[in-house]
Amino acid sequence: MFQYIIRRLLLMIPTFLGITFMVFFILQVAPDGPFERAVAQLKSANATSESGVSMSSDLIGNSSELSPDILEDLRMQYGLDKPIIIRYLIWLGVFPKEYKRETAVIGKHFRETVDFVQINENSKKQLQKYILVESEVDKNNNISYNIIESGAGLKYSLPDVSRLQTDENFDFDKYIFFQNEYQELPSHELISTWYFSNWDLEKVNSDNTVTLVKKEFNGIFQGFLGYSEKKGKNVSTLIAERMHISIFFGFTSLILVYLICIPLGILKALKHGKRFDVLSSIIVFTGYSIPGYALGVLLLSYFGGDIFPLHGWRSPDFSELSLWGKIKDQIHHAFLPIVCYMVGSFATMTVLMKNSLMENLNQDYVRTAFAKGLSEKRVIFFHAVRNSLIPLATGIGSSIGIFLAGSYLIEKTFGIDGIGLLGFNALIDKDYSIMMGALAIQVVILLIGNLISDITYAIIDPRIRFK
Amino acid sequence: MTNKNLSESILQKRINRFKSIKRGYYSLIILISLYVLSICAPIIFNSKAIMVKYNDEYYFPLFNSIFSNKNIEAKDLGQFEIKGKKKYGQPHYRLLKKQYQKEDKGNWVIMPLYPYDPYEEVISEKDEQFTDVNGNGVWDPSENFIDENGNGIADKYKYTNFPNSQHLLGTDNQGRDVLSRLIYGFNISITFAIVCCFLSYIIGIIIGGTLGYFGGKVDLFGLRIIEIYGSIPFLFMLMILATFIKPNVYILASMYVFLTGWIGITWYVRGEFLREKSKDYVSAAVSMGQSHWNVMFRHILPNSLTPVITFAPFAIIGYISALVSLDYLGFGLQPPTPSWGELMAQGRTNLQYWHLIVSPLFSIGATLFLITFIGEAIREAFDPKVHSRLR
Repeated sequence: MFQYIIRRLLLMIPTFLGITFMVFFILQVAPDGPFERAVAQLKSANATSESGVSMSSDLIGNSSELSPDILEDLRMQYGLDKPIIIRYLIWLGVFPKEYKRETAVIGKHFRETVDFVQINENSKKQLQKYILVESEVDKNNNISYNIIESGAGLKYSLPDVSRLQTDENFDFDKYIFFQNEYQELPSHELISTWYFSNWDLEKVNSDNTVTLVKKEFNGIFQGFLGYSEKKGKNVSTLIAERMHISIFFGFTSLILVYLICIPLGILKALKHGKRFDVLSSIIVFTGYSIPGYALGVLLLSYFGGDIFPLHGWRSPDFSELSLWGKIKDQIHHAFLPIVCYMVGSFATMTVLMKNSLMENLNQDYVRTAFAKGLSEKRVIFFHAVRNSLIPLATGIGSSIGIFLAGSYLIEKTFGIDGIGLLGFNALIDKDYSIMMGALAIQVVILLIGNLISDITYAIIDPRIRFK
Repeated sequence: MTNKNLSESILQKRINRFKSIKRGYYSLIILISLYVLSICAPIIFNSKAIMVKYNDEYYFPLFNSIFSNKNIEAKDLGQFEIKGKKKYGQPHYRLLKKQYQKEDKGNWVIMPLYPYDPYEEVISEKDEQFTDVNGNGVWDPSENFIDENGNGIADKYKYTNFPNSQHLLGTDNQGRDVLSRLIYGFNISITFAIVCCFLSYIIGIIIGGTLGYFGGKVDLFGLRIIEIYGSIPFLFMLMILATFIKPNVYILASMYVFLTGWIGITWYVRGEFLREKSKDYVSAAVSMGQSHWNVMFRHILPNSLTPVITFAPFAIIGYISALVSLDYLGFGLQPPTPSWGELMAQGRTNLQYWHLIVSPLFSIGATLFLITFIGEAIREAFDPKVHSRLR
């Protein structure tokens, strides 16, 4: 058993890689991606700037085309200068991503600005680093280069920071001690020397300069799902913000489906061919024939507005409600979506339960149980039902996966901002970093769900032994 | 029982058994007749006249538009102006009919049974929005335009209309007739499903057959690949592709099958081949020196068709649902192709127009309901399970 689980876990790795690579590949080769959009945006910006406001000259190439330099920069920014497989490895985090590049004069400091870091309510700290490249000639006349990195934390109070951005007459020198030329390290109490530098020397240029690059492993394996430029947030944050919604809908509908379908299936099997069976079959078939989101639209048009809210996950004033009010509000908003979530698997579950029980009632062991004089109730509920639950129990893992991954159709219909809708909107916006991040999470959820399925299968059904 | 019945083949037996399950049999008949009707829809649901007699000459605008691209100009038929404006291009046949009746010069127009087609432009609908007091189909200065505010000026044309005597199921948000869009949409949905089914069966039988027949490493390796392939969210991929390929129904069907549709049937065929492979007749065929191809497709395939056939209706349900959801999200067929999903999306944005929600929902529900019945009946007929229990 243990070995089996280990083997399944190991198999998950190539599956995960296969899925993500396929999607990554398609996203990268698909036309009209983020790069093309950025180019188009720049072009239109150029066009408007020429007609009216002037822009800095290096941004404008010729009249409508972008200059090759800018295109090259853009390509680098989107990572298109590397082959797809390398881009994929960068995304995974097994290949370092180059995210900064600097041409440094040997013997001179250059400053690397790191973002403001909030310390407390009204002060921020700006982290800055000073990098000095020194060349050293040893006795064999080989030149070696040392990269020395120093850092400083500058403290600003918040009003100054905002003034920095708005006030034209702001006295920069008073607050910022550094000139544009960094011959020397600025004198400052907070400056300390880094022991190592994560700048790498790429090449030595002829004009006494060197090209430095900064690389970092930053991908899925480091827990970094990507950064969405459009939303200005990390993908992991975006997903974490929505996870509870998907978990709520996923588990609630899953539990309700099992709670309703198992008794219904048992009842249908016991009353096979009778009026109850036929009537409930009609309901079950209707549920099977109507897609959940379509039912959602119908329900919305009849009950939306006055009885149930038209869209959303909770009321805007949810946090101000009392506990009872919160529960009521949540049920109020979740009722229709959960009905739609359930419709999808309702029919299959019920029929599965019914068929499975009927098959078991046909088995010899049931005959034996009857023959030794057990009561009908005991035979059915103690022997037959238990065995017929096996296929349902094994399905629970993959159901968890499917429910948690979210249905973008239902989320779109009801305007619930869950993971499914996040992925769908990313698709529309061509926000591929979100798509890939959401995909990675969903794939992992699905794979774990399948694993749970297999394990429950092995635990529940003693006939199955995995060797 | 006659001799004829005794010697009937197993297929004949199955068909008879299927026919005896009334629910499924009638569903099949209804579905087929609806499909035939929808194929004939262009001559039943169309805004072009079937036949026009004008000045002792006969015109067949509908057939002209179907079989050749020869267009009939409005002025050729004596329709010179509508609403006081000169009419160019194609004639407006519904108004032309009224005009001829009024003129009473022996000219006539035969319209199709339901004179609205699913593509008809808003403008042409607009042309009819006046009170035709003298009923001549031509707007006279004394006649009022129908409008919302009742001020006699066509100030606001309403695209979406509830069902009324002209449009039996109302009009959609661009003034197009919902009923004819539903019928044409039915045709497209079923065509899509059939094309999908056909293609995925070809792929599924070849790949599934190969995996099941050869087994061993081929099977193990192939299954891994299919598992990976099957876990890719291909509906998303299809949406990405659909935005720049702009597919028609056949291309969309092929894309769908290639990306995801073939997987289900492949599993089935593989399992069936795996089971059949160990039977004696296969060994016999192999020992006779039959080629792999022959063994696979002449011996095993006919014997493993039962689950494949019983799977088909449920696969078709899946294909139709997929098409509807793609259209609902706006990533399916290109507008203005009539589609159920697109009507559904219109209903979502205009919740007050119940006819935009109920009519596509009913169409989807009824169609899938019929197919479910057929599927149940086929399963019952091909693979009967006797459920007996004590007490």
